[in-house]
Amino acid sequence: MDKLKELNIKGHLLTAISFLIPIVCGAGFLIAIGMGFGGTFQDQLIQGEFSIWDTLATMGGAGLGLLPVVIATGISYSIAEKPGIAPGFIIGLTANAIGAGFIGGILGGFLAGYLAIAILKHIKVPKWAKGLMPTLIIPFFTSIIGGLIMVYVIGLPIAAFTSLLTNALDSLGSSSLLMFGGVVGILSGVDYGGPINKTVFAFVLTMQAEGVNGPITALQLVNTATPIGFGLAYFIAKLFRKNIYTPIETEALKSAVPMGFINIVEGVIPIVMNNIVRCVIATAIGGAAGGAVSMSLGADATVPFGGVLMLPTMTNPWSGVAALLVNILVTGLTLALIMKNKTQEQINLQTEVEEDDIDVNDIKIL
Amino acid sequence: MKIVGVAACTVGIAHTYIAQEKLENAGKKAGHEISIETQGTIGTENKLTPQQIQEADIIILAADVKISGRDRFEGKRIIQVATEIAVKSPNKLIEKAEEVVKQKQ
Repeated sequence: MDKLKELNIKGHLLTAISFLIPIVCGAGFLIAIGMGFGGTFQDQLIQGEFSIWDTLATMGGAGLGLLPVVIATGISYSIAEKPGIAPGFIIGLTANAIGAGFIGGILGGFLAGYLAIAILKHIKVPKWAKGLMPTLIIPFFTSIIGGLIMVYVIGLPIAAFTSLLTNALDSLGSSSLLMFGGVVGILSGVDYGGPINKTVFAFVLTMQAEGVNGPITALQLVNTATPIGFGLAYFIAKLFRKNIYTPIETEALKSAVPMGFINIVEGVIPIVMNNIVRCVIATAIGGAAGGAVSMSLGADATVPFGGVLMLPTMTNPWSGVAALLVNILVTGLTLALIMKNKTQEQINLQTEVEEDDIDVNDIKIL
Repeated sequence: MKIVGVAACTVGIAHTYIAQEKLENAGKKAGHEISIETQGTIGTENKLTPQQIQEADIIILAADVKISGRDRFEGKRIIQVATEIAVKSPNKLIEKAEEVVKQKQ
């Protein structure tokens, strides 16, 4: 277990995802705008035979098509630093060529990174050849070993598995879609952008890279709706003559709600910390409802980030709007109902909340 | 005591800055001099100077991803946690840092 922790697999994957997100957003908007105005993705832009919309769609498609390469390069760089970039790039392209897609890119990145490190550690060269190490030895040997493994050993099974997964998701019936969306919704909401959310994000991003946009749309719509739901709860509670937030919390809402509109859920964390159980329940119920609506109506944003900005990129933006509204309403209503009324006395007495103890396993002292 | 550190999360737009704020507030409340560099998607902000690092008693890294310029902290006592910990328990984390510094002396 300790060995596994030392490898820091999740850390490397998250580092690569952090490189990936801006590319997906930039390219996603390009292709969404291009296709929205009737452009198509073209393998080659032939002089005089394309419109500006074809250009945009092609730019976006080219960027999105390289996602396996980006993830492989990012992971490999995270593991082996600079010497990891070249082999990660080449093996990522190899994964693309054999049709192993995003999953292939992820595995290829780990392959490239660890191979590069192994070569760096175990192959000793004479002093005069030191310069050859980063320029020739690592890139060549890592790429040839990793690339051959990718093509002849893991490529085909991954490609088969990937198409199995996408087909299965494509053919989900409406009740399973409802279920699946609900689960994605709950998982993406309950820890407010924390580790569970990020793990689910990596999973649904993989699906999006394979052309299945529904799950990631559900996840991000829930992230968007949650803080807005917290804001709405304030007003619903007022209708019941209830005061569910302290003045400090109301102040926090003023920035949390606008942040929610652009897909940042973290603004509500200070409020959640004060009433963790009730907030999580309301978020989970709302998220389940929103996720289920999103998946069953088929909201399918091509851009995996941006909150309300994702809506125009959907084939049917109203499905996204509906999912958002349902999620906001359910979260808001539930919160307003289950949160305790704050009396004046409690507000004045507001004391510092006790913090969670830090688990020794979560902390590394070097 | 002087504390410096780096915060960096996956998406690099929210947790990074919340962790920075929480740590700086907790540090100041406990009477320390503290400065946290943020490595978000926008790039590095509030960059630590070599002098700040040189003078620091302890380094706190609150990061979910690989941070750049880690070699700057070579030879220093470092506490490394996920951003989650810094967001949830900043005061406890500062206490922990105090303990680590005391042990050294």
